[in-house]
Amino acid sequence: MKVSLFITCLCDIFSADVGKDTVEILERFGCEVDFPELQTCCGQPAYNSGYLTESKQAMKQMMRAFKHSEYVVGPSGSCVGMLKEYPNIFKNDPEWEDEAIKLANKSYELTQFLVEVLEIVDVGSAFKGRVTYHPSCHMSRILGVNEAPITLLKNIEGIEYIELPIKEDCCGFGGTFSIKNAAISEEMVKEKSQHVTETEAEYLVGGDMGCLINIGGMMQREGKTVKVVHMAEILNTTK
Amino acid sequence: MTIQNREAFLDGLAANLGRPRRTEGVKRPIWSVTPQLEVLKGQTQDELIEALEKQCQAIHTVFKRTDKAGLEQVLEDTIQAYKGQSIIAPNDQRNDVYGLTNLFKKLEQSTEIHIWDHTKEKENQVFAERADLGITFSDITLAESATVTLFHNKHHGRTISLLPKAYIAIIPKETIVPRMTQAAQQIHEAIVKGEDVASYISFISGPSNSADIEMNLIVGVHGPISATYIVVD
Amino acid sequence: MSIKINESPYEERVQQGIENDFMRLAVSSAQGRFRSRKRIQETELGNWEDWRQLGAEIRKHTVENLDYYLQQLSDQVSKRGGHVFFAATAEEANDYIQNVIRKKEAKKVVKTKSMVTEEIGLNRALESLGAEVVESDLGEWILQLDEDPPSHIVVPALHKNKEQIRETFAEKRGYTGSDIPEELADFARSQLREEFLTAEVGITGCNFAIAESGTITLVTNEGNAEMATTLPDTLITVMGMERIVPTWEEMEVLVSLLTRSAVGQKLTSYITSYTGARLDDEIDGPDDYHLVIVDNGRSKILGTEFQAALHCIRCAACINACPVYRHVGGHAYNSIYPGPIGAVLTPLLDGYENHKELPYASSLCGACTEACPVKIPLHEMLIRHRQIIVEKEKQAPMVEKMAMKGFAKWSSSPAVYKLSTKMARLALNPWTKDDIIGNGPGPLKDWTNSRNFPAPSKQSFRSWYKEREKSGEE
Repeated sequence: MKVSLFITCLCDIFSADVGKDTVEILERFGCEVDFPELQTCCGQPAYNSGYLTESKQAMKQMMRAFKHSEYVVGPSGSCVGMLKEYPNIFKNDPEWEDEAIKLANKSYELTQFLVEVLEIVDVGSAFKGRVTYHPSCHMSRILGVNEAPITLLKNIEGIEYIELPIKEDCCGFGGTFSIKNAAISEEMVKEKSQHVTETEAEYLVGGDMGCLINIGGMMQREGKTVKVVHMAEILNTTK
Repeated sequence: MTIQNREAFLDGLAANLGRPRRTEGVKRPIWSVTPQLEVLKGQTQDELIEALEKQCQAIHTVFKRTDKAGLEQVLEDTIQAYKGQSIIAPNDQRNDVYGLTNLFKKLEQSTEIHIWDHTKEKENQVFAERADLGITFSDITLAESATVTLFHNKHHGRTISLLPKAYIAIIPKETIVPRMTQAAQQIHEAIVKGEDVASYISFISGPSNSADIEMNLIVGVHGPISATYIVVD
Repeated sequence: MSIKINESPYEERVQQGIENDFMRLAVSSAQGRFRSRKRIQETELGNWEDWRQLGAEIRKHTVENLDYYLQQLSDQVSKRGGHVFFAATAEEANDYIQNVIRKKEAKKVVKTKSMVTEEIGLNRALESLGAEVVESDLGEWILQLDEDPPSHIVVPALHKNKEQIRETFAEKRGYTGSDIPEELADFARSQLREEFLTAEVGITGCNFAIAESGTITLVTNEGNAEMATTLPDTLITVMGMERIVPTWEEMEVLVSLLTRSAVGQKLTSYITSYTGARLDDEIDGPDDYHLVIVDNGRSKILGTEFQAALHCIRCAACINACPVYRHVGGHAYNSIYPGPIGAVLTPLLDGYENHKELPYASSLCGACTEACPVKIPLHEMLIRHRQIIVEKEKQAPMVEKMAMKGFAKWSSSPAVYKLSTKMARLALNPWTKDDIIGNGPGPLKDWTNSRNFPAPSKQSFRSWYKEREKSGEE
């Protein structure tokens, strides 16, 4: 199966390791992975801030980049969720509507791809530790991926899974929201950090780099020792 | 009676909706789903009573069940439990059928009884305001939400179930339906047949309450402070 | 009051909210309770998504045919002895109601909780005539005594604690009791009972008007709506023009959605349905009945991409689900409609100029959209508002516009993008220590004031991948 990796700009720049792990997991399950170099950002920072015109330029670039891909898989619920919005955004655009629909239909978030397409519920990894999971809002509410990451996590050998209190609540990232409304964002992430602490977990796992940078940045500042890791990193720990 | 400014107002709405004004021929579509018909579907009358009893706990309402022969005693006990010294009730033909008239006669020695009489005008309200107890029959009873439905009219004032300190509803078993859906259907069908809807219909589920102070549930705010339902087989 | 509550700037309001510990604790515990109670009801039904679908279909059909149903409603009310007044503006509505009060020479008006009367500033208009206006919902009455605006559309005094309420009662009404909620409520009961019995006019809002019979339905727990519609001889209903359903059957469905979503109850203690004036020989209820149907900016929303905002049934489920609301409270929105629905509706009804921050007061987490019982795509509407503020209203800050122009260039040019992935670490180096940015430059500063930001990876993913490919080829 041919899979094009959609790295997302945050992972590309801030978390190259997550990309490496994603590639290795996909290859482990027999996918032939390629990395279309024309890809940039999904356009969400501009789109969600109200800059439709600017965001469309990014989106067109993404459609060009993945034009010939069979599957597009990315380690982010939020960025893949954005790709899924393209058909609405380019509705009635004679040049781009078809491309938008095609890209949306072949795009998957990593855990979603593993469970829904490859039909894998146990990646055969081993990881020792107490782990809790933050379901990012866009992964669960926009993309509708709720069970896949938790199933994969729970099936990892040696893991002790603890549910995060009020896990569905936003961590306060929200892209430009975290800058534009930094004071509110701060209160939201403080609360999230508190909930993580309550679980007494050693690791906080999530499927979206934005949330992880936010929660991790707060917990680090608070002097907490919880390690914040991306789903791909945990899934790629071999026995 | 007068209707003012209507045509310009509604013409404007139609214009904003981007079409000519619609004055006739609008039909409700067939809704794609009807979950309201699924609630307590196919339950027997006794199963509905069970649901009603269970819900009574949730709404701080005392539930009692008896038959026609036992009603007088159960009602008398309930009145005593509320220390009811003054009682108001509608002028309902069911008062005779269910033995309330007899009971009221019996109680008259020790208790003030007022049966709604529209010819006495505001006197009714004045009595209701100081009464310990209001007693009415339920016209339609909703099992799911433990709700009594009252169709008010000139013999059945609105204040009877509202102003006294406590409220007793007598629920003939056959008035029990699964939920508000069936009550709404009955009312809708009557309207379609050209009947006039009652000027006032109350759906009452237990005593009044409020959570406006620090989200603490306080039972008994403006209306009755406590309520009892008596289901009669 | 009108839609806007005061003149203080957004940042100040947010800060005040964040610093108000009692309010935040109250809001957070209320949200927790509301949410769990709503969830219990949803689970018990088992087919909540079907209910939401039905609710959405009913609202859509009704609003699409609003002219038809309002005509039917007004015909029916008139047939049942009521007067109907269509008010295009707040002023027209207030003038009409003032005239009724004047004609009656009414000294006292008793009201039930109504957002639309807050919106049009009715109390002030009536008080200017010298009439005493008494709010009868317990929460509203507390706020009225204390001259404080509501902070939640279902529990308006959510931000107040019982000590504050005791003080208000003592100061304004000579209360001498304790701060036990039951005792406070008992005092309110006796005070308000007197008001109900002496008021000449009752004014209510409207949860759902039923077009087929001209009936108004009100949803309350306290029973104050039954009081206000039963005791005064004159009754006035003020309704937002969209608060209507075709028949009793749709009313029933929406009431079920409303009570479950608002307070997690199957039904509230009282669902009150009244039609016109009292009939011959009836003693309770008004002999003079008026229905005032208010537009006040709503019709501008019809036919636009925001039309579904008129589907709102005012349950506050979005407010109860919103994490932003939890931390800043209702007053931060500076609108009588707070929370996500407030952020959507307020700029539509009252213009962008005074409310341009509201659409940004959301992390776009989508909790509101998920909670809405009639499936209004609230967070998508917030994005659409932002687009309008940027592209039509041109109210976005210059720095942001420049940044977004830069974004477009960066994200549409793979070469520029690639260069940035190479340069990012170097560029942020002056602010980086041990791979952590603790005090970032420019827009990062607001972030790093409270939390760390990571330094870019030593090698970008794409550069790693390139090397891997090369070594694979060798």
